[in-house]
Amino acid sequence: MIKYHPQHELLSLHIKGELPLSMSLAISAHAELCDICQQKLNRLTECETAATFDNNTESNISVDLDSEMSSLLAHMMQDTLDELDANPAQPYNEGVTEVTVKDQSYPLPRAFRHQINAQWQGIGKVSRLRLNTGEEQSRASLLHIAPQGEIPEHTHKGSELTLLLAGEFSDEYNTYRPGDFMLLDENHQHSPKTMTGCLCYTIVDAPLYFTKGFSKLLNPIGELLY
Amino acid sequence: MENFQSQTAENRYDKASLAKNNGATQLSNTNELDAEQLAELMLKVANLRCKVSFAKLFKHFGPKISAFGNQRLHQQGLAMDLVQETMTRVWTKAHLYSEDKAAVSTWVFTVMRNQCFDMLRKVQHNKEDSFGDDIWPLFESDDAESNEDDFKLSGTLLRHVDELPPLQRQIVQGIYMQEMTQQELADKLGIPIGTVKSRLRLGLEKLKGFMEKHYD
Ligand SMILES: [Zn+2]
Repeated sequence: MIKYHPQHELLSLHIKGELPLSMSLAISAHAELCDICQQKLNRLTECETAATFDNNTESNISVDLDSEMSSLLAHMMQDTLDELDANPAQPYNEGVTEVTVKDQSYPLPRAFRHQINAQWQGIGKVSRLRLNTGEEQSRASLLHIAPQGEIPEHTHKGSELTLLLAGEFSDEYNTYRPGDFMLLDENHQHSPKTMTGCLCYTIVDAPLYFTKGFSKLLNPIGELLY
Repeated sequence: MENFQSQTAENRYDKASLAKNNGATQLSNTNELDAEQLAELMLKVANLRCKVSFAKLFKHFGPKISAFGNQRLHQQGLAMDLVQETMTRVWTKAHLYSEDKAAVSTWVFTVMRNQCFDMLRKVQHNKEDSFGDDIWPLFESDDAESNEDDFKLSGTLLRHVDELPPLQRQIVQGIYMQEMTQQELADKLGIPIGTVKSRLRLGLEKLKGFMEKHYD
């Protein structure tokens, strides 16, 4: 059973599309493993749809499209739709569906399938594949720990997210299962150990970064804290 | 300029006019369509590549998307881009929509939010990537996407309508040729709306089967 889930606030920001890519990847991958959160996300999407579309008084009042919109529609009706059908989309590229590290293979959650374009790098039992999210404030990676391995104790200035994707590991606090979503702040340190090996997704060194929406990120006071 | 302007609501179910009507569209006076109407429009876009239905969806959702874009993308002046990109995907990805999984408005919201997410990344991180649909799937099964071509059907679909079993034919003709709503058909035939839906689904599946045989 998954014991650790993203907080409601994170799920809500995720549905609004206001989290950074690194964090939305984590929520999406967690929900793929966690039916409870998937159901919550479905409900939140319905609520957000209603809040966005139904309270849209402007469109309720104006019956006709404005001229810009009318000409876009006319253009699509006359040309674009036919062009789209005449040029079928590229065949769907499902990306990387599985990763193999040290002879262990793991299926990848859907969210990561187009993110894998680097090599695994590592020392000893710990291997890391950095994801290029383009975010300067955080580092997102897939992390593999071979059987009987551990991550040396480490500290971080900001928060650290660890999402267990496959396998198991334990730290001072608990034993974790695939899907467990652990968000630790700078006051917590941990040194996970695994008996059978595991694959995780991690985001590190992101003070105030990934738990806030874009609007807060653009706040200059936030920048000073880095 | 073709006439996309409003006509009276009574005309909406003007029998048989719509099937022949290919461009000069009729739209009801109000933009607010209910969930059932939206689902029927999506089905016609997905299965028949029906532009008239697309125009109705555009009229319904366009202003809503624009308002959302004005909030999120205001500084970038990209609201109209968001309308165009979102409605383009409504057309090209309509086959991924499933009435069983969510309301049309929820699906369009998902398409729009994903698109907006990718556009914001482009602006803020200068990233030309598109991860929105990986993070928030559009309900598809994976094979639906790879079989995309199988689901892109034209009006020629209805050529095979006579090959359907009578009960399914009755429903498909009612919806697509006589332009009745599912509720109207249910009332007329004295059957539950769920039965209308399931016969329609079976009929369309069968029509797709005919098409595949003929165009393999
Ligand atoms: Zn959960």
